[in-house]
Amino acid sequence: MDSTLPRVAADTALYAEVLDWIHTEAELLDDLREREWLETMVSRDVTYAVPLRQTVERARGRGFSPDTFHLLETYGSLDSRVTRNETPYAWAEDPPSRIRHFVTNVRVRQSGDPDIVAVKSNLLLHRTRQDQSLPQLLSAERHDELRREDGRLMLLRRDVLLDLTVIRTHNLAIFF
Amino acid sequence: MTSHTDSSAKLLDAVTEGAEKGVIPASIFGDPDLYRQELRNVFGRCWVFLAHESEIPAKGDYVLRKIGEDNFIVVRDDEGEINVLFDACRHRGVQVCRSDSGNTSHFRCPYHGWTYNTKGNLVGAPLWRNAFGGMSKENNGLASAAKVASYQGLVFGTLDQSAPPLKEYLGGMAWYLDLVFGLNEHGVEVLGPPQRFVIDANWKSGAENFSGDDYHLGTLHRSVWEIGAFPVPFHENMMGYHIQASPGHSLSFSMAQDANEPGPNYFGFPDELAQSFNTTNISADQLEVARRSRVFVGNVFPNFSMLALPMTEDGSNHPPVGILTLRTWQPHGPGQVEVWNWFAGYKNLTPEQKDRAYRAGLGTFSMGGAFEVDDTEPWITVSRNGASTAAELLDFQLNYEMGKPGVGISKPVKEWPGPGRVQWTRYEEGVQRNMYGFYAEMMRSAPGQWPSLVFPEDAAADKEHRA
Ligand code: FES
Ligand SMILES: [Fe+2]
Repeated sequence: MDSTLPRVAADTALYAEVLDWIHTEAELLDDLREREWLETMVSRDVTYAVPLRQTVERARGRGFSPDTFHLLETYGSLDSRVTRNETPYAWAEDPPSRIRHFVTNVRVRQSGDPDIVAVKSNLLLHRTRQDQSLPQLLSAERHDELRREDGRLMLLRRDVLLDLTVIRTHNLAIFF
Repeated sequence: MTSHTDSSAKLLDAVTEGAEKGVIPASIFGDPDLYRQELRNVFGRCWVFLAHESEIPAKGDYVLRKIGEDNFIVVRDDEGEINVLFDACRHRGVQVCRSDSGNTSHFRCPYHGWTYNTKGNLVGAPLWRNAFGGMSKENNGLASAAKVASYQGLVFGTLDQSAPPLKEYLGGMAWYLDLVFGLNEHGVEVLGPPQRFVIDANWKSGAENFSGDDYHLGTLHRSVWEIGAFPVPFHENMMGYHIQASPGHSLSFSMAQDANEPGPNYFGFPDELAQSFNTTNISADQLEVARRSRVFVGNVFPNFSMLALPMTEDGSNHPPVGILTLRTWQPHGPGQVEVWNWFAGYKNLTPEQKDRAYRAGLGTFSMGGAFEVDDTEPWITVSRNGASTAAELLDFQLNYEMGKPGVGISKPVKEWPGPGRVQWTRYEEGVQRNMYGFYAEMMRSAPGQWPSLVFPEDAAADKEHRA
């Protein structure tokens, strides 16, 4: 997110709307209401990316790859994922992991387009599987763009910047 | 000898006997003593895949890779040669490579500043005259792998001076690598750095799966047909060849019996690309086998796997297209494996075709892919049960009998243009018995000694040929 864009203050109606959107989304994903999430919160034009990260010297930046990913999704491929999880043979998530999205540090900025707001947030994803007592934790910064479509905010772009180079979880059959 | 090594020796005897019969002790997927022996006798001796040449095209390009659990710098020097250097400073053993990849003229140790060039030679240290004046720089460089070699753009290294040349080690597998990587004069390049993820499983589960476990698709991966990710129906996909290319290395082709069956051909690679395939670097037989192949999956012992097949991440918008993934199963303790996953494509694909193949591959064969997300699930419990006391006390043996004489429909094939032991239909686990048979031999070979790298019948045929 371009940090020169005007910041939306925390005491505005727009900020409250974005925060509410984030809480609603986290609830749908935690409750495995993935179809409802896709159909009511995700734009048909969505780009959803989790870029690869490498360890590099400080002078070379944060190490995110511009063109390689852990996930690179469109609406069609997200729909495929949701459909797959709805089949009775999606063993990876059946029985499902227990997932909790903790979203904090929400920062909202206006974009050049009056219909689009840019949102940065920190995400801590807590996941346990079967009888695991130690959680898998995935920490990330999310860079989102939300676009107003028919009056509702919809996810137009999401970049999930993981704080990891080697991913320590058995699969990414989950949504960030 | 301690009782520990006695127990691993017993396990290995059981593997050797069982690889013939089709029974493998479950404990090999969790035994810690066996694992330590694997690091030394398998990863410390075999040729291990490190990188693709296209990852380090320019002088000074490097990537940080692993042999067993240890870090090695794979770097192209000023003369264009590839060196494989143990990432440990000669002074006190500190790691000298600070990034996963990059370009550099030298590696400087952060502790006292010893500095090495891209050949690994010591070139200097701070205040050299005061500190080391009079001492030779020679023999104070970084340690190198014993041998380094490439085949079809694939860079391998070994820590064993007594290892046979790479081509000899690959044996019959080279013929099959040719027809995946050498279909035209352009060759293959990787599409970006590898994805890395860690799962609580044993490295052998990945290696044996890619040696040719096609049977699991019908159950574990059933969901991918529901979403249209893969165009060949399960039963049809079980038709094809299981091939033990040479001891240790195995592969599998999905292929129709009728040579003129309409596609997918060439693993589903785009038609425009297929038009550029020719016999510049391979034989007409190899080209024809590639043409007829819908799926290729294989494993170079111990831990380098490849897969080429038609896939889509979004069946409603994009038809399946040939993807190519390369991967290593890096050991990380008996109960943990780090998966390194590269996507690759022919260099003469258009940027749009590369993008399509990359997206199709990422959406199916990656840690978030529709196919692969399910694979890790069973492997985790294989290693958990392998490490169990119950498996040891009950002497729990696993069944690897599929396709043995009298078991199932798979039959040996006599007419086949390539090397190895060949079976028709993929209802077969000889490919895995081959991996474990060689594994046990390698594990018990004394330093300097190597198990045979050719099957007895091929060695005999070879002799006849020469006589
Ligand atoms: S340990 Fe590397 S310079 Fe001393
Ligand atoms: Fe699989």
